[in-house]
Amino acid sequence: MTHHDKKSVADIPEEPIVVEVQAYSNFLVTIGNTGNKFLTEIRDNKALMGIKCPSCKKIYIPPRTHCPTCFARMSEWVKLSGKGTLETFAVVRYQEPYMPKEAPYAYGVIKLDGADTGIVHMIGGVDLNKIKVGMKMEPVFKEHREGSILDIEYFKPA
Amino acid sequence: MTGERIAIVGVGQTIHKSKRTDVNTAEMCAEAVEAALADAQLTIKDIDCVILGSFEPADGYSGPDKFIIPEIGCVGKAGFEMQNVGTTGGVVCATGFNMAAAGLFENVLCVAWQKMDEAAGAFGRGGGGANEYWTGQFPMSPITNFARRTYAYMTRSGCTEEHLAMVRVKQDQCAQRNKYAQLKLGLTVEKVMNDFLLAWPIRRLHMCPTTAGSAAIIVCPEKRAKKVTKKPVWVEDWFTCHQGGALTMAEDPTASTLAYACQKIYKRCGITNPNKQIQAWEVYEPASTAELRWMEEVGICEDYTAWKLFEQGKVGIEKEVPFNPSGGVTATNPIGCTPVVRVVEAALQVRGDAEEHQIPGTINRALATAYGGQGENVVFLLKKSL
Amino acid sequence: MVLKKEEPQDPSVAFRYPRVITYKHSLGYQSKFAHALKMGRIIATKCPVDGRCTVPPRIVCPMHHVRQTEWVDQGQRGKLTSAFKINFPMFDSRTGELKTWENPIVSLELEGGAKMDGWCAETDTSKLKPGMLLEAVWRPPEERKGRVDDILYWKPVEK
Repeated sequence: MTHHDKKSVADIPEEPIVVEVQAYSNFLVTIGNTGNKFLTEIRDNKALMGIKCPSCKKIYIPPRTHCPTCFARMSEWVKLSGKGTLETFAVVRYQEPYMPKEAPYAYGVIKLDGADTGIVHMIGGVDLNKIKVGMKMEPVFKEHREGSILDIEYFKPA
Repeated sequence: MTGERIAIVGVGQTIHKSKRTDVNTAEMCAEAVEAALADAQLTIKDIDCVILGSFEPADGYSGPDKFIIPEIGCVGKAGFEMQNVGTTGGVVCATGFNMAAAGLFENVLCVAWQKMDEAAGAFGRGGGGANEYWTGQFPMSPITNFARRTYAYMTRSGCTEEHLAMVRVKQDQCAQRNKYAQLKLGLTVEKVMNDFLLAWPIRRLHMCPTTAGSAAIIVCPEKRAKKVTKKPVWVEDWFTCHQGGALTMAEDPTASTLAYACQKIYKRCGITNPNKQIQAWEVYEPASTAELRWMEEVGICEDYTAWKLFEQGKVGIEKEVPFNPSGGVTATNPIGCTPVVRVVEAALQVRGDAEEHQIPGTINRALATAYGGQGENVVFLLKKSL
Repeated sequence: MVLKKEEPQDPSVAFRYPRVITYKHSLGYQSKFAHALKMGRIIATKCPVDGRCTVPPRIVCPMHHVRQTEWVDQGQRGKLTSAFKINFPMFDSRTGELKTWENPIVSLELEGGAKMDGWCAETDTSKLKPGMLLEAVWRPPEERKGRVDDILYWKPVEK
């Protein structure tokens, strides 16, 4: 090859460059049969169902197939009233992408009566400055439900 | 080597499928864990350390141990996640082996998974190219990388497309005898040679499938292993070798770091004649054509001659060279989990428990490998007795 | 964003959550390489131990672990070492688009010794032979962004 002239590189700048790169993702989440039953009960019957461990007797909601403590397979479903106590909450006053609502809004952990675990959900139907830990809560269901956790619009003070 | 001698006391895997709509990712892992515990005749309470991992960009999760751990009953146990593209399962196992060998834990559970029916094509970023920013414009993927490798292998060895097809047919015949394998297609050389061309010389049938599957192993230090099972599979040695991109792609476009890793591990373990001293091979081949070069790199035959062994019909479960008796990665590839499947299959061979795809005779040693990215390798040597 | 998978209808069985994430990568030492591309030049770092040039450039030689401070212009031509064409639709990870790819990708050994890949102008792969000479065809200066695709494609050199 004869065309290569060893040109000087001294005239090439060295200023640091930062580049923007966009990543697109569109992943699929499979719910599984246990989660599917939970969601269809919400959609069809406005019912909140927990699942009970045969050996340690704990009731989990949202449900899973194996007990996190003892790994036993769970299959006993328990219908809960849907009412519960607000364990903790946060009022979000800044905007983030991909959130279900525009700020300001509140969400929290509600310990449902009869269950051993808390469920995370939105809080509504109340002045954001008047929410208190320990309040009794109940779910408000959407008119049109699809089989998603957002079929519950929010929990409001009972 | 210092540290405790260690053995695999239990193995388990799910029946691998292209889609699992009946379970979510965590439940799929729980199936593999249940299988491994049943195989070892242990309960989850015996496990004191959990190492887990999957190739996260392909599943779209970040830090998935948070929802896998509760489902597999391991809340409160020691352990962490490990990840590295195709070698993920290999680093999960190697880490688990380290935890047992260090004498810190008595029963280490290693579990890996991949649920590729949930992927969305974003996996092409980063992992395929040597530098995301500079190679991001190219559709880098295992298909194109192996098209390049195989083309170079063909020009250097003189083998033809027919030989590549013979390799694929051998894989399929083995997979048909493995109840856990995904693809069982009843292939012939003609079907393979006429299949849809992806990027010459790679045809669709040469490439591994996308799989939803999980696998787990349980590892114990020596004293504990002898108490738990009558058939411990001893982990003689392992070696990891990364950065294939810098080391090999520029020099020899057909090779990976496998030869380098094998030389090291053979030297440490006194293997001078691999064909005689190793009786079972589970070597990770992302495209069936890779088997040709990998057979040479692990020392079964001279460079660029492996295709002749296929022509002479010498490769198969009951043949002279029992390479990938499970059907290999070409039949089943849940990316992050595949190396654990290689270790599981190698362990089953050593124990004589591989059922229909068991290699006849006594298996004193088995070699299992993990492959990833641009040619990274993790190599494991398993043996029957101390 | 165009992604060709059938949309699941029932969120109680499975659902998707589409996202666009923007990353800001600092090029660091490789910034000089990006500036050179904007100027229509390909430069590489040279290892002081064995003289091998690497593209993309690296601050430290991956084999000898010494700093590479010498930059060498790689010229405008390269010898073909491998070529392949993609015969099936693949995702363009830059746009999320599922598309077909007309031009082959070629691997080259540049005049300065470094190796790199690029798109090829010649779409008939039977005309591409290892050892043949290809030269870079660049985008117009105002369109260059300091990326490797500032080289539009590599074209066989007319005899």
